Amino acid sequence: MNAIEIRNLSKYYGKSRGIEDISLDIAEGEIFGFIGPNGAGKSTTIRTLLAFIFPNGGSAKIFGMDCIKDSAKIKMNIGYLPSEVNYYDDMKVKDLLFYSAKFYKKDCSKRIYELSSILELDLNKRIDSLSYGNRKKTAIVQALLHEPKLLILDEPTGGLDPLMQNRFFEILREENRKGTTIFFSSHILSEVQRMCDRVAIIKEGRILKVETIDRLAGDKFKKVKIDFANGGRINLPGMVNVETKGKSMEFLFGGKMDELIKSLSELQVENLWIEEPSLEEIFMHYYETGRKD
Amino acid sequence: MAIFFRELARNRKSFIIWTVILIASNLGMMAMYPVVAEQAGSYNELMKKLPKEMLEGLGMDRLNFSQILDFFAYIFLYIILFGGVYAMMLGSSIISKEESDKTIEFLLAKPVTRNAIVTAKSLCVLFYLILFNGLFIAADYIVFEAIKRDAFDMNKFLLLHFGFFMLQLTFASVGLLISVFIVKAKSVYPVTFGVVLGAFFLNIVSAVSDKLENLKYLTPFKYVNPSDLVASGKIETVYMVIMVLVIIISVVLTYVLYNRKNIAV
Repeated sequence: MNAIEIRNLSKYYGKSRGIEDISLDIAEGEIFGFIGPNGAGKSTTIRTLLAFIFPNGGSAKIFGMDCIKDSAKIKMNIGYLPSEVNYYDDMKVKDLLFYSAKFYKKDCSKRIYELSSILELDLNKRIDSLSYGNRKKTAIVQALLHEPKLLILDEPTGGLDPLMQNRFFEILREENRKGTTIFFSSHILSEVQRMCDRVAIIKEGRILKVETIDRLAGDKFKKVKIDFANGGRINLPGMVNVETKGKSMEFLFGGKMDELIKSLSELQVENLWIEEPSLEEIFMHYYETGRKD
Repeated sequence: MAIFFRELARNRKSFIIWTVILIASNLGMMAMYPVVAEQAGSYNELMKKLPKEMLEGLGMDRLNFSQILDFFAYIFLYIILFGGVYAMMLGSSIISKEESDKTIEFLLAKPVTRNAIVTAKSLCVLFYLILFNGLFIAADYIVFEAIKRDAFDMNKFLLLHFGFFMLQLTFASVGLLISVFIVKAKSVYPVTFGVVLGAFFLNIVSAVSDKLENLKYLTPFKYVNPSDLVASGKIETVYMVIMVLVIIISVVLTYVLYNRKNIAV
């Protein structure tokens, strides 16, 4: 069964685009990355899933229930970590967390103490005196305290130092082992690459591609760099992001390796590198060309 | 229920401040009654010398200051003005504050419907207004008993306070509705003051000018005008109907519109 099913979802703010015709399936138990730059429509998608805003077209289901009609019921099993954390200034961290727990009709105190001690969060501080990082930690505990079956994370690591990021990712892996589905929205590729099984790339409100991290990184593209002895050049189908500098050429190659070798054999090659590209490089390629393949 | 108790806690401080100040002002002015009643004859003479329009505007033309209820009606007009401001501020901030503070993102991610949010918050407003008026009636009753010269009409005493409660409910419901559209704190408060003071001003204008008399249908301060109530002993049916309709329509619209609202912070 799918945890999330999005069908042709569109949302406009007046005339300006939020998202257009988004369709996605996220399987139960999956860690799914949702990646794109600021303003691409990541938060709009999430806010529609959570029924903060209503779509102009299409629909979405979470655990088989309509995300607008059955919103309150669905949220019993959702933990949401917002990108910007805004909580009640007159409360202490503890008050906020126990207030949050009251909505789930079960005792969450054990989990609250457990998570705050892992994240070294001081429960007795007032919300308005918290640093950005501590606000984020409060939000993390708030999202996890009721042991939700689906976690929706919007830019989850902002403000966390590397040590805390590691602990946070450990918690997420642990939750995932217990069966929690994680929808991980971010503009930072390395963390998506580190955490996620599959990833959807979103640009200007549309999904460009949905791919497993392995295939996105490995299968398709190789990073090729060639130094030619006397200024040779090649041009083959499947070459993208071509950069030439002096006698050397650098590009991502998604074509047939055999063709590359054969055409190189006719030229004077001084040096040759064929490497795995970083996800960033592949990502930039999708972004620059906006290619759908 | 969590939201209801949370709102009780959050609005407790302002409730205490408003209640204490308004009850204290009310009692403070009532404390002048024995002196005024002593010299009621000369006060009434003095009043006759003031411009008639002004007295009508403030509803003072029919008051006999030797009667405790008449004196009370005179000062109560100003109490209900500030009580109206409090009620509307309570109503207009209770929903909008979540949005202006951006905490609504927290609340909407919880397993609650928007109906439940509006219900919990409206009930909190209702609770505080009932408590406010209960305390007011108790305080006024005690001071009336302490300083009265003759017996007073208990029905009229209660009618005046019931009118105050209805006026507050009316302003609070309009506040609820307005706050669906206007969420920024710096806009909510000016609008609130504008509406209440505007209504107060309409009451004066409608009493002074015959041409503008029909404006009285637009202002709750006319519906439950204390000196009118003391004179007639009742709230006019048409005014009662208007208030009940305004309350029902505002609350229903608040539910309908809030359910449809795109809330992006």
